[in-house]
Amino acid sequence: MSDETPNDTRDSNGRFVKRAAETAHRLHTPSEEGVHPVAKILFGWTENKRSGTFIFWGVAVLSMVLIVADLGVPRHEYVEIAHATGFYALWGFCSFAFVVLMGWPLARLLRRKEDYYGDPGGPPVDIDPDMPVEPSAEGTYHYEGDED
Amino acid sequence: MTGPLSMLNPGWLLIAVGIVALFLPMRRVRQGLTIAAPIIAIVLLSLADQNINHLSAQAMGIDFIFYRVDSLSFIFGLAFLLAALLNAIYAWHTDDRLQDGMAIAYAGAAVAATFSGDMMSLFVFWELTAVTSVFLILRAGTRAAYFASMRYLAIQVLSGVLLLAGIAYVYHSRGDLSIQAFTSLKEPGAILVFIALGIKAAFPFLHNWLQDSYPKATVVGAVVLSAFTTKLAVYAFARMFPGHDALIWIGAVMTVFPVFFAVIENDLRKVLAYSLNNQVGFMICAIGLGATGVGDALALNGASAHAFCHIIYKGLLFMSMGAVLYRTGTTKASELGGLYKSMPWTTVFCIIGAMSISAFPLFSGFAAKSLTMSAVGHEGYTVVWLMLLFASAGVLEHSGIKIPYFAFFGHDSGKRVKEAPFNMLLAMGLASFICIAVGIPAIVPGLGYEWLYNLLPYREEAMAYNPFTLGHVLTQMQLLVLAIFAFVMLKRLGWYPAEKPGVVLDTDWVYRKAGYGLFTWAGTIWQKAGPAMTAVFFKLTGRAYDRIEDTFSPRGELARGRLGSAMAIWTAILLGLVLLLAFITSS
Repeated sequence: MSDETPNDTRDSNGRFVKRAAETAHRLHTPSEEGVHPVAKILFGWTENKRSGTFIFWGVAVLSMVLIVADLGVPRHEYVEIAHATGFYALWGFCSFAFVVLMGWPLARLLRRKEDYYGDPGGPPVDIDPDMPVEPSAEGTYHYEGDED
Repeated sequence: MTGPLSMLNPGWLLIAVGIVALFLPMRRVRQGLTIAAPIIAIVLLSLADQNINHLSAQAMGIDFIFYRVDSLSFIFGLAFLLAALLNAIYAWHTDDRLQDGMAIAYAGAAVAATFSGDMMSLFVFWELTAVTSVFLILRAGTRAAYFASMRYLAIQVLSGVLLLAGIAYVYHSRGDLSIQAFTSLKEPGAILVFIALGIKAAFPFLHNWLQDSYPKATVVGAVVLSAFTTKLAVYAFARMFPGHDALIWIGAVMTVFPVFFAVIENDLRKVLAYSLNNQVGFMICAIGLGATGVGDALALNGASAHAFCHIIYKGLLFMSMGAVLYRTGTTKASELGGLYKSMPWTTVFCIIGAMSISAFPLFSGFAAKSLTMSAVGHEGYTVVWLMLLFASAGVLEHSGIKIPYFAFFGHDSGKRVKEAPFNMLLAMGLASFICIAVGIPAIVPGLGYEWLYNLLPYREEAMAYNPFTLGHVLTQMQLLVLAIFAFVMLKRLGWYPAEKPGVVLDTDWVYRKAGYGLFTWAGTIWQKAGPAMTAVFFKLTGRAYDRIEDTFSPRGELARGRLGSAMAIWTAILLGLVLLLAFITSS
């Protein structure tokens, strides 16, 4: 790694520039597994097996704190129903849950095969030319409809 | 500012650069021009005096106003120019003359339309946005993109034709073509213009051109497309239909229904297209508030601020998904996951975009959406307010969580790719900076959200509004955190639907399947029935001809024998009656 740093990038103090260059190089060179070093710094904690449990309880506690805080914070509301303590919390929770749960019946009702309208198309031509090309899992598409 | 440059509509500059770029083979010079042009245009716009006609002309008895700036057009124009700049940086790694040229010309057409003071100029640039933008879909080079671009062009041109018909009616009734607010939706001209604008704003049932075409565009094309067409329509609505009640309900429906489609959609660029629909709904709803033809100051500020922030953060989200598409070749959630390991910077920028669109405090969406929500509550539309609040939780679901979670986290797809090219990261970084810079409190007066509020059409009302009250921050955090809690709980319970490949039926089914099926069926029927019907027709006409010939020809029945006395009398009676009728009608 250090061999790649040209000697002429050193200043009179030598080591400092080399170290900076090495650090910069390290931060931009993925590991052999293809993991970016910055990813380990920023998101490495998500790989911990207990991170899911930590997030769940963390969000749960934060939710409780926000609802309790509602008791002591004066609010100016235009809509009558919004005056209720924890209204926004309840509305947010129920709305989100409703939308997600509606996904089950809606998917059954509205989802069709990818070639329903004919050729579903692949990636556009301007993707990374160096990208390793993977064979399409879908195989040959059956053309029908307006794109026949 | 004075001199010839003061008369130059910044949009025209971009269009000119777009035309030059089409013929400029030197890649870096061309791309340098596409970056320099929006910067120069922003400088020109900043120096332009407001509320005067910088360039106008009269022809055929019509006053054309080619360049006029006011506080409403300024904020939209500025947002368009910033988007054009970010897009040009984002496209730096490509070498495509057509795409470079059309992208900057498309931006220019939107800017030129924004600063047009008459409806005919607006129409010309309205159509130019359609003609230039279609290439951004077409350049994807796939068969599906080709058909989608043709459908897109047909619908966009339909919008233009309706606008032109509306303009003709307006000219007939008003006698001039200056852009003014309509006070009634009863006259045909107003209705035609309303529908034309509604198509471009992707109103419910008129919306599917957007979800059909944007996800099939090129990597760069989808980013460019996300900024201009729909927001130009929002601007036109704010200009011509402020305070029309119909918009409140149309907007409210627009915010709600895409949420359900987005949750089951697998293509993340299509999810963003639905999200775009939902966000435009907030703006349309805000424009509908207030007195007819006037609007509500707080709400129009909300629509303008929302449009500005939305152009940036939706562009940022499309950029992040574009980077994923560029490196992996797909944006299907079922094929992605775990990309944070190889694209951490893209992940960070995507999360900033997601937090902005979800309106987390300290991000731009919060400062913008608060104005609209307060205006809706203040006007007493409780049901609409509840719908918008529901949609806010829905935005968090599909754009705030689904996009970053399924692309960068979730199930690890095992894809290990390179981080996005530097120019993409730079564009995303700049967009992220804007998202945070206009979302933070005004610790230094005039900066933070106050910088944005200072640019809004009703400046005094905007500056009097403070989104960072303790109660407001608390309630917004309640809404968002409890919605996130619902997400982690549903994931933990295994109740969150898995992402599966497939196409989700929407209203485009009507013309892509049913309409097309009807036409092909009619064609088949005609192929069979046509010859039979032709044979029957010739048979019947042949018989009729034979009868007539048998009766009236020189060899016919009537030509035989002498003229009888009874026939002479009847002929005289008939002629007498004709004479009498002629007298009666002439008197």
